[in-house]
Order: sequence, then C-alpha cells, then structure tokens
Amino acid sequence: MNLKHIFISIFWLFLFNSIFTNAQTPLDGLMMPKGEICVALVYEHSTWERYWEGTYLRTNQNIGTFKREMAMPMIVGGITDKINIMISLPFLKTSATGGQMAGAEGLQDIGLSLKAQFLDYNLGKGKLKAFSNLSFSTPASNYLADYLPFSLGFGSNELGVRAIGLYEMNKGSYFRISGAYLHRGRAEAERNFYYQDRAFYTSTMDIPDALHAQVSLGSWFFQKKLRVEASITSLRCFSGDDIRAYNTPQPTNKVDFDKIEGFAQYYFKDLKGLGVLAYYNQMFSGRNMGQFSGFGLGLTYQFKAL
Amino acid sequence: MKIQIRILFVVISVALVSYSCIEELPNELQFTGYEFASLDENAGNWNLILFASKEELLVSAPDPIGSPSLIQELNEVKSKIALASSAQKEAVSYWTNNPLLRWNEIALELATKYNLIPAPNADGTYPSPDPSKPDQYPLFPYSHPPYTSRMLAYLSVAQYDGLIIAWHYKTKFGRKAPYELDPQIKSAYDENGLSSFPSDGAVVAVSSRDILIAMFPLEKKFLEEKANEHLESLILAGINVKSDVEAGKFIGSQVAKKALARASIDGMKNAQTNKAKSDSISNAAIKRFGWSWENQETPKRSVGLTPLFGRVKMWNVPTVEEVRPESPPTPGSIEFNKDADELKRFANNLTVEQRKIANFWNDGLNSYTPPGHWNRYAKETVVKYKLSPVRTARVFAYMNMAIVDAGISCWDTKYYYHYPRPIQTISGFKTILGTPNFPAYTSGHSTFSSAAAEVLSYFFPSEATQFRKWAEEAAMSRVYGGIHYRFDAITGLSQGKKVGTYSVNRAILDRAETF
Repeated sequence: MNLKHIFISIFWLFLFNSIFTNAQTPLDGLMMPKGEICVALVYEHSTWERYWEGTYLRTNQNIGTFKREMAMPMIVGGITDKINIMISLPFLKTSATGGQMAGAEGLQDIGLSLKAQFLDYNLGKGKLKAFSNLSFSTPASNYLADYLPFSLGFGSNELGVRAIGLYEMNKGSYFRISGAYLHRGRAEAERNFYYQDRAFYTSTMDIPDALHAQVSLGSWFFQKKLRVEASITSLRCFSGDDIRAYNTPQPTNKVDFDKIEGFAQYYFKDLKGLGVLAYYNQMFSGRNMGQFSGFGLGLTYQFKAL
Repeated sequence: MKIQIRILFVVISVALVSYSCIEELPNELQFTGYEFASLDENAGNWNLILFASKEELLVSAPDPIGSPSLIQELNEVKSKIALASSAQKEAVSYWTNNPLLRWNEIALELATKYNLIPAPNADGTYPSPDPSKPDQYPLFPYSHPPYTSRMLAYLSVAQYDGLIIAWHYKTKFGRKAPYELDPQIKSAYDENGLSSFPSDGAVVAVSSRDILIAMFPLEKKFLEEKANEHLESLILAGINVKSDVEAGKFIGSQVAKKALARASIDGMKNAQTNKAKSDSISNAAIKRFGWSWENQETPKRSVGLTPLFGRVKMWNVPTVEEVRPESPPTPGSIEFNKDADELKRFANNLTVEQRKIANFWNDGLNSYTPPGHWNRYAKETVVKYKLSPVRTARVFAYMNMAIVDAGISCWDTKYYYHYPRPIQTISGFKTILGTPNFPAYTSGHSTFSSAAAEVLSYFFPSEATQFRKWAEEAAMSRVYGGIHYRFDAITGLSQGKKVGTYSVNRAILDRAETF
C-alpha cells in the first residue's frame, strides 16, 4: 500500500532535448544536407531523490533514489537540404533504491520527426534562420503507463508542432529559441476505475497536452569541430490533476518542469564523420514529477548515403 | 516547398482540432430510468434489519384525493414542471427512478476521495486522522477497506429498512401518483402505478445523505446539495407531490438515526489502536506461533491498520471465532516454501494476463477498495435485471452486511495470526503492487470478494458462475501482485464464502421470495 512513488515521464522531451549532432534534433538549428545520414547512440543516466507532489517537494524513503537509464539509437537523414527526417527508439530501465516496488524496463516510444527550414537570411554580422518541426511518437511495446513512477512512458500517441528561431553570428556564437505544442492522446490503464478530481468509470486516461519551450546560448569553436551550449527548458501541461497527498502519480497528472542544461559536442578531425557528445542537466522547479538530474553520453556517425 | 509545408500545417491543425473533440470519459454508471421487472408490492411484509416493526415509525394517512391540500400540491407540481430549467431536467434524468444506485455511486466516490494513507511526520512518526478535527491533516476519514465496507453496510441497511417501511405505507394508504391523479402531469419515468406516498425516492435521498454526512463529515455541504437536487427532482419528474416527499424524508431521517445509533457503539471507535496495544497483539502472536508481522515501510509504521477491526460488531455472524480459519503454515516449512517459491516464480515470469489481473483488482489507495468494486458489480447487475428500488436495496443490504462481516472476520484472522507478508519473509523480494499495512493471512480481497460473490450468487443465480470466477480472480490477483501467498488467498476465499452464507441464510427467511 505504501510506496511506489513519483515522477512522470516526459521522455519524449528528454529524447530530443538538445541531443545531437551536425545532424540535428527537432529542437536545434541544424540541418543535414540531402543524402546524408547520421546514426547516433545515446546513453542517459538520470536520478532523483525528491519529487514534486503538486508543487510540494517531497522526500520518500520508500523510493530512496530513483534511477532511470536510457539507451537510444537514432537515425537522422537529409531528404533535401531543407527537410530532414528523424527516427528514434529508446530502451529504458527504471528502478529505486528504497522500498520493495519492482522497476520496469523495455522499449518506450518510437519517435518520428520531420524538420523543415523556412528561412535563411543574412542579418548584420550573422544569419537568421527559422525552422519548423512536426513530430509523432507512439508506444513501441506494451509497457504499462499506469505504473508510476516506474512506467517507461505515458503510453499515448503524441503529436508535436514546433517552431525554432536561430540567430548565428559569423564568428560562431548563436542564440536559439523554440516552442512546441504537444498534443497527447489517451492511455489505457489496467484498472477500469480511477480518481481524477472525481470518479472515472473507464480504463482510458486523458494525457494532458503541453507546451514545451527552450532558450539556448551556444557557440562553435575550432573551425566548427566543437559546439558548446547552455539552455533552459520548460514544460507546462495545459490540464491534469495533482498527485494526491502521499499517493502514487498517475498519467493524468499535470506535469511541469524547468531545467538547465549544459551540452557539448565534438567532431573528430581524423576520424571522418565521427562525433561524441555529452550533456548534463538539472531540474530546478517542477510539478508532479521527480526532480531529475542526469547526464548523457553519445556517439554519432555521419556519412553520405546517396 | 514553402507552400507544401503550409498545406501540411493546415492539415495538422485540422487534425489536432478534430482529435480533441473525442468523446467524454464516463464519470458514472451509464443507465437511465427503467421499467421495473416487478413492483414488489408485498415488500412491506419483508423482514427489517434494524427495526422491530414497520409501524415503529408512525406515518399518518395522507390527505385524500380531492382534498384542497392535495389539489394545491398537484398544482405546485405542474407549475414547477412548467418552469423547470434544463439543469433541473438533467437532474431528473440523472437520478432515475432507482436513485439508490446513484447514492451508492456517490458513496464510492467519497470512499475513493478519502482513501489516502497518512504521510510520515518530519520526525518519522505517523499522524492519524482525528474524527473530532476532520479537516486537519490527515483528513477524517481515512477510507480504507474496513472503513468503506462498514460505511456501505450502514448506508445499504438504512436504505433497505427505509424502503421496506415506505412500501408498507404505500400498500397501506395506496395513494396514487401525481401522473395518475392529474392527466396534465406526465411521469419522466415509466408510469408503473406505484403508490407515491411515502416517496421512496425521498427515503433514499435523506437516509443516504444522513449516513454519508456521518461517515464523511467534510462533505456535508456537497451531500446536502445532492440531496436537495434529488428531492426536487422527485417533484419535477411528476412522480411525487410535496406530502409524499415529506413523509419519505421523515422515514429517511429516522432510519438513518437508527443506523447511526448502532454505528456509534459497534466498536469501530477502538479499531485503530495505540502502539502499546498494537505491540501486545503482536507479542501474543509471537508467543502463540513464533512469528509476527512487521510493517516494512521507511519510516516504519508502528501500528498496523485497524488492529481491532476484528472486534467490531458483526451483522449476521454470532461470533467472529466461529469463522476464524485454521493456522497458516509456519514460515520456513515445506508447505510455506512451496507457496513462497511460487511467488518468486511469478515475480520473474509474470505474464501480461497475470499483470492485468493484478492491476485490475488492485483497488488499493485512492480507489473504492474491493467492497466498492463489488458494489459496482451489484449496480450493473441490478440494472440488468431491472430490479425495483426495494429489491435493489435488499441486494445491497445483504451483500454489504456480508462484505463488512467478511472484513471483520478477515481482520480478526489477520491480527490473531499476525502473519508476515512476502516482502518480510522473502529477502530482496520486489512486487508490482504496494504491500498494505496489515498482516498477510488471510487475504482481504479474497474474503471480501468471496462473501460478496456468495450473496450475489444467491440473488442472481444465473450469474453465479461469473461472480465466483471474479472472486477467484480477485484472490489470485494478490498472489500475482506478490503481496499474498496462495494459502492467504485460498483460505480467504473459503472464509468469505462461509461468512457470506450467514447473510444468505438470513435472506432466505426474509419473506421476499414468497408471494
């Protein structure tokens, strides 16, 4: 009766959050040229010791330290110089050091994303660029969304529309801003009754839609071999309920967070097409989720396919 | 390219908008008023539970047909119907002509709302709800399974006695319903010719309101609003005049009072003990059996859930000892190891089907609990068989008496044997369900479910196979979830069946099946 507790999985965001390459992500201001492909593998390790129950930051010794590990393969390809496609399929594993609740592991959601560049305009001592991105994800296994905080994802489809603006100085520093509307569908629980401010006689749960925004400052160094970036990312759900007092979270919760992140990526001179990346992030405010901090390490390889 | 992308955006936007117009998720049982299979006109002769005789509550004869007061009341009905707002019309259709089902639903919703376990204090101790300060954290009540089972029994028994008494006076006075007295008045429901005095709807509204206010004191305002809406709907539905409603309100408040008088001295006040008492119960088990259950949470809860719920007054079982099962196997014995090994196997190789069963029946914190789950099944079955209000009340009264008796018997067993949970006996064991804060043997889910299934099988014999299958599934769900040994579940099933039989035996003699 005790235990199981908190955090909610906004993995989709994590996945694409600032990772990647000369190839790029739904969030960044990079495009791959036509016919080029980038494959990447990222390992992410994140933990929390406290979680937000509503906005109250709670410690729960029956969770102890919550750990989530992710291994994510990803492919990005240039359909044209101005349109890229991305596919990702993360494998996740969750566990807790306290209590007796079993963790979970398995494939999470398969993500598909299209990014298009709208604008490429010389302005002052730099360039102004604009992009948009459409993304879709859907569960890739039968993981149970209603098993928080251990569940691998929120178990529904997600459709995202994002706009990205970038101003890059010719010397290499850049400023980027992006905003996305994330429309989520419904998840199926294995119980057919639940409480979300009132009784629900169904196993279907509405997953709240969300707004996702990011502001980044970064720069290129060493003839574009190294990229370093700092960012602030926010997520705000438009609806949803709060985790009830000392109770388990559920997929209907209103999940918000703000986090800071440092990111670096390096392309080897001698090993053509090969790159490495690393990042560290830390949440500093939130609602109905664990206060994650974590790091990611990745390998990228880019080549001309056509 | 720009144009293509713009088109794509329009398509996506349209998709987003249409996607968000999907149907609403249901907050209640989907049913409307229906034609009763029988009016149960002899129900005034059925045996009461709380009262000695029907006329222990004296209701005087209503004014006769043609009297100025009744004409006045009929005119009021007509003008109220003429002026009804759309919200009022919706209320008429919401409450239906079997409103007990709605009140049962409200009870389950409140049970769910208050089913939250207290969080630890900063110093590692745990607070307890205080009935004298219900709005102070942790809120009163903590509507755990024993609390909910007892609440539902009082609710259902009060409704049942109230409706038998109402039926008695309906037969005695035979007052015709407004839609029969005045051709301009139409019933919103099936025009079945049931006598309208006293109003059975008002009996249900007021008895339910008063029982639930006592059980959930912080919901007083909410419950009063619900009852007022319900009482008003009786007039607007064209099935009652004011004097019908007033007589029904009187019966409703009196049966609630009688039920709550029993509740105040049934022993529930002492069910949650202090640590000293809890330790002495635990020590008695160590002395008797050589084992003892301990809470495994951090910080540890020093007192289990309601150690003395097993002493609460039962409805239909003379003594709790006569339904107490034999001792479970000693931890470490061959018999024990067999079932413990099975738990490890399930933990390592649980099928999706087994996981689904575990979660489907979990009914843990923030849920309506297993008693609530069975009340839901009872509602669905009552609608399927189109039972009259008084026969509906009978089903709920006998079922919920059996359920709370099963809970009392189960809790007696739990704290008598004080048997450790799998997470205590199997080192490093992990579960997919949270382990509750009370001993293992016997399983509450199994006992509650089996008792409920036994009573429902008596009332709905053609559904018996299904009910018993559900009870077995509920029992096994706890084994799949890793929080009960198979012997907890199996013994719980036979214990619940035994307890349920006492309720059935009483129902057999209650004169509802003789015509």
